[in-house]
Amino acid sequence: MSPTLKFDYRKFPAEPSEAFPRRFSANRPVIPVTLINDGKRIKYLCLIDSGADLCIFHAEIGEQIGVEVEKGKLLDFSGISASNMKAYFHDIRIDVGGCEFDCYAGFSRDLDRLPYGVLGQQGFFDLFILMFDYSKERVELKPKNNVHAD
Amino acid sequence: MAENTDLRELLKEISNKWVALSSDSSRIVGVADSPKGALEQAKNNKEPDPILTKTPEHYGTFIL
Repeated sequence: MSPTLKFDYRKFPAEPSEAFPRRFSANRPVIPVTLINDGKRIKYLCLIDSGADLCIFHAEIGEQIGVEVEKGKLLDFSGISASNMKAYFHDIRIDVGGCEFDCYAGFSRDLDRLPYGVLGQQGFFDLFILMFDYSKERVELKPKNNVHAD
Repeated sequence: MAENTDLRELLKEISNKWVALSSDSSRIVGVADSPKGALEQAKNNKEPDPILTKTPEHYGTFIL
């Protein structure tokens, strides 16, 4: 039986605004994940984002594990505040809390404004049953059968 | 060792850089313009399992 993985939300700095003058902190379901390619590994923070269709990471992170970014399959994609972004998709492996799985993931040079990689529906949400509890500041991941747990 | 998940103080003064955190996220072990540079600093600081993240130019509100 696969274990349930539990991660506390991470707290990040936030800048107050006219709309939220006392907002100095942001709690987000950001977790450490290890990207694996050709035996090379890199651990990096990623946002669990139910609004993202796919998993997309910074191109520079891919290059650190030997991914030749622009040799991947091209996808033009949009976010809520930007469009005409490009990602190149590659087959890699991902380790989350000791659970390892294949992921067809995009690497993009257009994520500069984002501090984290993005774990989206295809490649992540389809592999886990997720429970978000904002008040407890915790997210729980229960791996499905196609995820290998150590 | 318990993992530190409160990154507010650690990251608040760092803008638009790649940051390597210690494996328990309690310390910054590298800051650079690239992941490679941050990882090299982490290695020099004898951190065997760093966690990378990027700091934004401004800590605004994200609606992706």
